[in-house]
Amino acid sequence: MTEIDVRQKVLAANAAAAQALRSAFAASGTLVVNLISSPGSGKTTLLEATARELKRRLRLGALDGDIATERDAERLRRSGIPARQILTGGACHLDARQVEKALAEEGERFAGLDMLFIENVGNLICPTSYDLGEDFKAVLLSVVEGDDKPFKYPAIFARAAATVITKADLAPHVPFDLEGARQEVAALNPAARFLVLSARTGEGMEAWFALLEEELSRKRSAPVPAALP
Amino acid sequence: MGIAAEIYRIARGVADDRGGGPLESVTVVIGELAAVEPDLLEFAWRATVEGTADAPARLSVDWRAARQVCSRCGEIRERVPGSWLRLCPHCGGPLAVSGGDELDVRTIAFSDAPSAAAGGG
Repeated sequence: MTEIDVRQKVLAANAAAAQALRSAFAASGTLVVNLISSPGSGKTTLLEATARELKRRLRLGALDGDIATERDAERLRRSGIPARQILTGGACHLDARQVEKALAEEGERFAGLDMLFIENVGNLICPTSYDLGEDFKAVLLSVVEGDDKPFKYPAIFARAAATVITKADLAPHVPFDLEGARQEVAALNPAARFLVLSARTGEGMEAWFALLEEELSRKRSAPVPAALP
Repeated sequence: MGIAAEIYRIARGVADDRGGGPLESVTVVIGELAAVEPDLLEFAWRATVEGTADAPARLSVDWRAARQVCSRCGEIRERVPGSWLRLCPHCGGPLAVSGGDELDVRTIAFSDAPSAAAGGG
Protein backbone atom coordinates (compact mmCIF):
# COMPACT_ATOMS: atom_id res chain seq x y z
CA MET A 1 0.00 0.00 0.00
CA THR A 2 1.18 3.51 -0.78
CA GLU A 3 0.10 6.59 1.12
CA ILE A 4 0.36 10.01 -0.49
CA ASP A 5 0.11 13.41 1.13
CA VAL A 6 -2.10 15.16 -1.43
CA ARG A 7 -3.12 18.49 0.16
CA GLN A 8 -5.20 19.68 -2.77
CA LYS A 9 -8.21 21.95 -2.70
CA VAL A 10 -11.23 19.89 -3.65
CA LEU A 11 -12.56 22.70 -5.82
CA ALA A 12 -9.23 23.65 -7.43
CA ALA A 13 -10.57 23.04 -10.96
CA ASN A 14 -13.58 25.30 -10.34
CA ALA A 15 -11.32 27.89 -8.73
CA ALA A 16 -9.11 27.98 -11.85
CA ALA A 17 -12.13 28.53 -14.11
CA ALA A 18 -13.42 31.21 -11.73
CA GLN A 19 -10.06 32.97 -11.82
CA ALA A 20 -10.15 33.05 -15.62
CA LEU A 21 -13.62 34.58 -15.48
CA ARG A 22 -12.48 37.11 -12.87
CA SER A 23 -9.62 38.23 -15.11
CA ALA A 24 -11.98 38.64 -18.05
CA PHE A 25 -14.44 40.63 -15.93
CA ALA A 26 -11.58 42.81 -14.66
CA ALA A 27 -10.50 43.52 -18.23
CA SER A 28 -14.02 44.47 -19.32
CA GLY A 29 -14.76 46.38 -16.10
CA THR A 30 -17.90 44.32 -15.47
CA LEU A 31 -19.23 44.16 -11.93
CA VAL A 32 -20.44 40.62 -11.25
CA VAL A 33 -22.86 39.76 -8.46
CA ASN A 34 -23.68 36.16 -7.50
CA LEU A 35 -27.17 36.10 -5.97
CA ILE A 36 -27.88 33.21 -3.63
CA SER A 37 -31.02 32.40 -1.64
CA SER A 38 -33.71 29.83 -0.99
CA PRO A 39 -36.26 29.30 -3.75
CA GLY A 40 -38.92 31.98 -3.61
CA SER A 41 -37.10 34.63 -1.62
CA GLY A 42 -37.26 37.08 -4.50
CA LYS A 43 -34.04 36.93 -6.53
CA THR A 44 -35.78 37.36 -9.87
CA THR A 45 -38.14 40.05 -8.57
CA LEU A 46 -35.18 42.00 -7.16
CA LEU A 47 -33.41 41.72 -10.52
CA GLU A 48 -36.51 42.83 -12.44
CA ALA A 49 -36.70 45.97 -10.30
CA THR A 50 -32.94 46.47 -10.64
CA ALA A 51 -33.17 46.14 -14.43
CA ARG A 52 -36.01 48.65 -14.66
CA GLU A 53 -34.01 51.24 -12.73
CA LEU A 54 -30.42 50.74 -13.87
CA LYS A 55 -30.85 49.79 -17.53
CA ARG A 56 -31.47 53.47 -18.29
CA ARG A 57 -27.85 54.29 -17.55
CA LEU A 58 -25.97 50.97 -17.52
CA ARG A 59 -25.62 47.86 -19.70
CA LEU A 60 -26.89 44.94 -17.65
CA GLY A 61 -27.12 41.21 -18.22
CA ALA A 62 -28.24 38.19 -16.24
CA LEU A 63 -27.53 34.48 -16.08
CA ASP A 64 -30.25 32.41 -14.41
CA GLY A 65 -29.45 29.03 -12.92
CA ASP A 66 -32.34 26.64 -12.48
CA ILE A 67 -32.98 22.94 -12.56
CA ALA A 68 -35.77 23.34 -15.09
CA THR A 69 -37.72 25.93 -17.15
CA GLU A 70 -36.76 29.18 -18.87
CA ARG A 71 -39.14 31.17 -16.68
CA ASP A 72 -36.64 33.36 -14.85
CA ALA A 73 -34.70 34.36 -17.95
CA GLU A 74 -37.98 35.12 -19.75
CA ARG A 75 -39.07 37.39 -16.90
CA LEU A 76 -35.78 39.28 -17.01
CA ARG A 77 -35.86 39.64 -20.79
CA ARG A 78 -39.32 41.15 -20.42
CA SER A 79 -37.81 43.68 -18.02
CA GLY A 80 -35.52 44.75 -20.84
CA ILE A 81 -32.11 43.16 -20.29
CA PRO A 82 -30.35 40.24 -21.99
CA ALA A 83 -30.84 37.13 -19.89
CA ARG A 84 -29.72 33.57 -20.43
CA GLN A 85 -31.03 30.53 -18.60
CA ILE A 86 -28.53 27.89 -17.49
CA LEU A 87 -30.32 24.62 -16.85
CA THR A 88 -28.37 22.42 -14.46
CA GLY A 89 -30.40 19.26 -15.06
CA GLY A 90 -30.74 18.48 -11.38
CA ALA A 91 -27.59 20.01 -9.93
CA CYS A 92 -28.32 22.33 -7.02
CA HIS A 93 -25.74 25.02 -7.88
CA LEU A 94 -23.93 26.72 -10.75
CA ASP A 95 -20.22 26.17 -11.30
CA ALA A 96 -17.66 28.39 -13.03
CA ARG A 97 -17.45 26.24 -16.13
CA GLN A 98 -21.19 26.56 -16.77
CA VAL A 99 -20.83 30.33 -16.54
CA GLU A 100 -17.85 30.30 -18.94
CA LYS A 101 -19.74 28.17 -21.43
CA ALA A 102 -22.90 30.30 -21.30
CA LEU A 103 -20.94 33.53 -21.80
CA ALA A 104 -18.92 32.03 -24.66
CA GLU A 105 -22.12 30.92 -26.39
CA GLU A 106 -23.76 34.31 -25.91
CA GLY A 107 -20.76 36.18 -27.34
CA GLU A 108 -21.45 39.83 -28.23
CA ARG A 109 -24.76 40.04 -26.41
CA PHE A 110 -22.98 39.68 -23.06
CA ALA A 111 -19.67 41.35 -23.99
CA GLY A 112 -18.59 44.52 -22.21
CA LEU A 113 -21.49 44.69 -19.74
CA ASP A 114 -21.40 47.16 -16.87
CA MET A 115 -23.04 44.67 -14.53
CA LEU A 116 -23.68 40.95 -14.77
CA PHE A 117 -26.06 39.32 -12.30
CA ILE A 118 -25.76 35.60 -11.79
CA GLU A 119 -28.93 34.26 -10.22
CA ASN A 120 -27.87 30.99 -8.67
CA VAL A 121 -30.07 27.93 -8.21
CA GLY A 122 -32.39 28.45 -5.23
CA ASN A 123 -30.45 26.81 -2.40
CA LEU A 124 -28.61 28.20 0.64
CA ILE A 125 -26.01 25.42 0.80
CA CYS A 126 -24.31 24.10 -2.34
CA PRO A 127 -23.93 27.38 -4.28
CA THR A 128 -21.86 28.66 -1.35
CA SER A 129 -18.90 26.46 -2.27
CA TYR A 130 -18.56 27.43 -5.93
CA ASP A 131 -16.71 30.61 -6.88
CA LEU A 132 -18.11 31.95 -10.16
CA GLY A 133 -15.57 34.73 -10.63
CA GLU A 134 -17.95 37.23 -9.04
CA ASP A 135 -16.99 40.44 -7.28
CA PHE A 136 -19.25 39.53 -4.40
CA LYS A 137 -21.99 37.20 -3.30
CA ALA A 138 -25.29 38.67 -2.16
CA VAL A 139 -27.50 36.42 -0.05
CA LEU A 140 -31.23 37.15 -0.01
CA LEU A 141 -33.42 36.29 2.96
CA SER A 142 -37.11 37.13 2.80
CA VAL A 143 -38.91 38.05 6.01
CA VAL A 144 -41.34 35.15 5.53
CA GLU A 145 -38.50 32.61 5.78
CA GLY A 146 -37.67 33.58 9.35
CA ASP A 147 -34.93 35.44 11.19
CA ASP A 148 -33.12 32.29 12.33
CA LYS A 149 -31.56 31.48 8.96
CA PRO A 150 -28.11 33.11 9.31
CA PHE A 151 -27.02 30.77 12.13
CA LYS A 152 -28.74 27.80 10.47
CA TYR A 153 -26.91 28.36 7.16
CA PRO A 154 -23.75 30.03 8.45
CA ALA A 155 -21.50 29.32 5.46
CA ILE A 156 -23.35 31.52 2.99
CA PHE A 157 -23.92 34.36 5.45
CA ALA A 158 -20.22 34.24 6.40
CA ARG A 159 -19.18 34.53 2.74
CA ALA A 160 -21.73 36.95 1.31
CA ALA A 161 -20.51 40.56 1.29
CA ALA A 162 -24.14 41.68 1.32
CA THR A 163 -27.16 40.26 3.10
CA VAL A 164 -30.40 41.53 1.56
CA ILE A 165 -33.59 41.14 3.58
CA THR A 166 -36.39 41.00 1.01
CA LYS A 167 -40.20 41.33 1.07
CA ALA A 168 -39.92 43.99 3.77
CA ASP A 169 -43.49 45.04 2.89
CA LEU A 170 -44.65 41.75 4.46
CA ALA A 171 -42.77 42.35 7.73
CA PRO A 172 -45.87 43.64 9.61
CA HIS A 173 -47.61 40.33 8.91
CA VAL A 174 -44.93 37.90 10.06
CA PRO A 175 -42.77 37.53 13.16
CA PHE A 176 -39.31 38.52 11.94
CA ASP A 177 -36.75 39.85 14.41
CA LEU A 178 -34.78 42.20 12.18
CA GLU A 179 -32.29 43.17 14.88
CA GLY A 180 -31.69 39.49 15.72
CA ALA A 181 -31.03 38.67 12.06
CA ARG A 182 -28.71 41.66 11.79
CA GLN A 183 -26.73 40.48 14.86
CA GLU A 184 -26.45 36.95 13.52
CA VAL A 185 -25.12 38.16 10.17
CA ALA A 186 -22.66 40.49 11.93
CA ALA A 187 -21.39 37.64 14.16
CA LEU A 188 -20.64 35.55 11.07
CA ASN A 189 -19.36 38.38 8.89
CA PRO A 190 -18.72 41.72 10.62
CA ALA A 191 -17.91 43.45 7.31
CA ALA A 192 -21.13 42.38 5.55
CA ARG A 193 -23.53 45.03 4.28
CA PHE A 194 -27.07 44.55 5.58
CA LEU A 195 -29.94 45.86 3.47
CA VAL A 196 -33.68 45.71 4.05
CA LEU A 197 -35.92 46.25 1.04
CA SER A 198 -39.05 45.43 -0.90
CA ALA A 199 -38.68 45.15 -4.65
CA ARG A 200 -42.49 45.37 -4.94
CA THR A 201 -43.00 48.66 -3.10
CA GLY A 202 -39.55 50.11 -3.81
CA GLU A 203 -38.83 50.55 -0.10
CA GLY A 204 -35.07 50.33 0.56
CA MET A 205 -34.20 49.90 -3.12
CA GLU A 206 -32.13 53.10 -3.27
CA ALA A 207 -29.54 51.56 -0.92
CA TRP A 208 -29.30 48.49 -3.16
CA PHE A 209 -28.79 50.59 -6.30
CA ALA A 210 -26.23 52.72 -4.46
CA LEU A 211 -24.33 49.62 -3.31
CA LEU A 212 -24.16 48.32 -6.89
CA GLU A 213 -23.04 51.64 -8.33
CA GLU A 214 -20.45 52.15 -5.58
CA GLU A 215 -19.01 48.70 -6.20
CA LEU A 216 -18.93 49.32 -9.95
CA SER A 217 -17.04 52.59 -9.61
CA ARG A 218 -14.74 51.05 -7.03
CA LYS A 219 -13.94 48.22 -9.41
CA ARG A 220 -13.25 50.60 -12.27
CA SER A 221 -11.00 52.86 -10.23
CA ALA A 222 -9.05 49.96 -8.73
CA PRO A 223 -5.99 48.60 -10.52
CA VAL A 224 -6.78 45.10 -9.22
CA PRO A 225 -10.18 43.43 -8.88
CA ALA A 226 -12.03 44.52 -5.74
CA ALA A 227 -11.36 42.04 -2.98
CA LEU A 228 -14.70 41.60 -1.29
CA PRO A 229 -14.88 38.32 0.63
CA MET B 1 -22.56 14.92 -5.35
CA GLY B 2 -20.37 17.38 -7.24
CA ILE B 3 -17.97 17.58 -4.33
CA ALA B 4 -17.72 13.78 -4.02
CA ALA B 5 -17.06 13.53 -7.76
CA GLU B 6 -14.26 16.12 -7.51
CA ILE B 7 -12.69 14.30 -4.55
CA TYR B 8 -12.75 11.06 -6.53
CA ARG B 9 -11.33 12.72 -9.64
CA ILE B 10 -8.43 14.18 -7.64
CA ALA B 11 -7.72 10.99 -5.68
CA ARG B 12 -7.91 8.70 -8.70
CA GLY B 13 -5.78 11.13 -10.70
CA VAL B 14 -3.02 11.18 -8.07
CA ALA B 15 -3.05 7.37 -7.85
CA ASP B 16 -2.95 7.05 -11.65
CA ASP B 17 0.00 9.46 -11.88
CA ARG B 18 1.91 7.06 -9.66
CA GLY B 19 0.76 3.93 -11.43
CA GLY B 20 -1.24 2.90 -8.39
CA GLY B 21 -3.95 0.29 -8.06
CA PRO B 22 -7.35 0.64 -6.41
CA LEU B 23 -7.84 3.30 -3.77
CA GLU B 24 -8.00 2.04 -0.20
CA SER B 25 -8.76 5.26 1.62
CA VAL B 26 -9.11 8.99 1.08
CA THR B 27 -8.96 11.57 3.84
CA VAL B 28 -10.56 14.96 3.35
CA VAL B 29 -10.47 18.00 5.60
CA ILE B 30 -13.83 19.72 5.90
CA GLY B 31 -14.40 22.93 7.79
CA GLU B 32 -17.61 23.78 9.57
CA LEU B 33 -18.20 26.62 7.08
CA ALA B 34 -17.43 24.65 3.93
CA ALA B 35 -21.16 24.08 3.28
CA VAL B 36 -20.52 20.32 3.11
CA GLU B 37 -22.29 17.89 5.42
CA PRO B 38 -19.95 14.96 6.28
CA ASP B 39 -22.73 12.34 6.41
CA LEU B 40 -24.13 13.40 3.06
CA LEU B 41 -20.65 13.48 1.57
CA GLU B 42 -20.03 9.92 2.76
CA PHE B 43 -23.29 8.88 1.09
CA ALA B 44 -22.36 10.68 -2.13
CA TRP B 45 -18.90 9.08 -2.01
CA ARG B 46 -20.40 5.59 -1.90
CA ALA B 47 -22.56 6.42 -4.91
CA THR B 48 -19.55 7.86 -6.78
CA VAL B 49 -17.20 4.88 -6.35
CA GLU B 50 -19.89 2.23 -6.75
CA GLY B 51 -19.21 0.03 -9.74
CA THR B 52 -15.56 1.06 -10.00
CA ALA B 53 -12.44 -0.81 -8.86
CA ASP B 54 -12.29 1.76 -6.05
CA ALA B 55 -15.66 0.76 -4.59
CA PRO B 56 -14.18 -0.52 -1.30
CA ALA B 57 -12.29 2.74 -0.67
CA ARG B 58 -13.11 4.44 2.63
CA LEU B 59 -13.66 8.17 2.86
CA SER B 60 -12.51 9.67 6.17
CA VAL B 61 -13.50 13.18 7.14
CA ASP B 62 -11.22 15.27 9.30
CA TRP B 63 -13.77 17.86 10.47
CA ARG B 64 -12.57 21.29 11.62
CA ALA B 65 -14.65 23.64 13.70
CA ALA B 66 -14.70 27.36 13.02
CA ARG B 67 -13.73 29.73 15.85
CA GLN B 68 -15.51 32.83 17.08
CA VAL B 69 -13.17 35.55 18.22
CA CYS B 70 -13.81 38.76 20.17
CA SER B 71 -11.42 41.60 19.42
CA ARG B 72 -11.13 42.32 23.16
CA CYS B 73 -11.47 38.89 24.82
CA GLY B 74 -9.89 36.66 22.19
CA GLU B 75 -11.23 33.25 21.21
CA ILE B 76 -14.59 32.38 22.77
CA ARG B 77 -13.98 29.07 24.51
CA GLU B 78 -17.65 28.64 25.46
CA ARG B 79 -18.64 28.27 21.85
CA VAL B 80 -20.00 24.82 20.98
CA PRO B 81 -19.32 23.76 17.36
CA GLY B 82 -22.58 23.69 15.43
CA SER B 83 -24.03 26.63 17.29
CA TRP B 84 -23.11 30.30 17.24
CA LEU B 85 -23.02 33.22 19.64
CA ARG B 86 -24.41 36.57 18.60
CA LEU B 87 -22.22 38.63 20.93
CA CYS B 88 -19.22 38.07 23.18
CA PRO B 89 -20.44 36.42 26.43
CA HIS B 90 -17.80 38.35 28.42
CA CYS B 91 -17.99 41.91 27.16
CA GLY B 92 -21.04 41.94 24.87
CA GLY B 93 -18.85 43.09 22.01
CA PRO B 94 -19.06 42.00 18.40
CA LEU B 95 -17.52 38.73 17.29
CA ALA B 96 -15.67 37.63 14.18
CA VAL B 97 -15.39 34.15 12.73
CA SER B 98 -12.09 32.56 11.90
CA GLY B 99 -11.27 29.33 10.05
CA GLY B 100 -13.69 26.56 9.25
CA ASP B 101 -13.62 27.01 5.47
CA GLU B 102 -11.32 24.05 4.71
CA LEU B 103 -12.28 21.72 1.86
CA ASP B 104 -9.16 19.75 0.93
CA VAL B 105 -8.10 16.28 -0.08
CA ARG B 106 -5.42 15.56 2.52
CA THR B 107 -4.12 12.04 1.97
CA ILE B 108 -4.90 9.03 -0.17
CA ALA B 109 -3.82 5.41 0.15
CA PHE B 110 -3.91 2.95 -2.73
CA SER B 111 -2.91 -0.64 -3.29
CA ASP B 112 0.33 -1.11 -5.19
CA ALA B 113 -0.97 -3.97 -7.30
CA PRO B 114 -2.10 -2.33 -10.54
CA SER B 115 -5.64 -3.19 -11.41
CA ALA B 116 -6.93 -3.46 -14.95
CA ALA B 117 -10.12 -1.66 -13.94
CA ALA B 118 -8.33 1.27 -12.30
CA GLY B 119 -8.03 4.53 -14.15
CA GLY B 120 -11.32 4.20 -15.93
CA GLY B 121 -13.27 6.27 -13.48
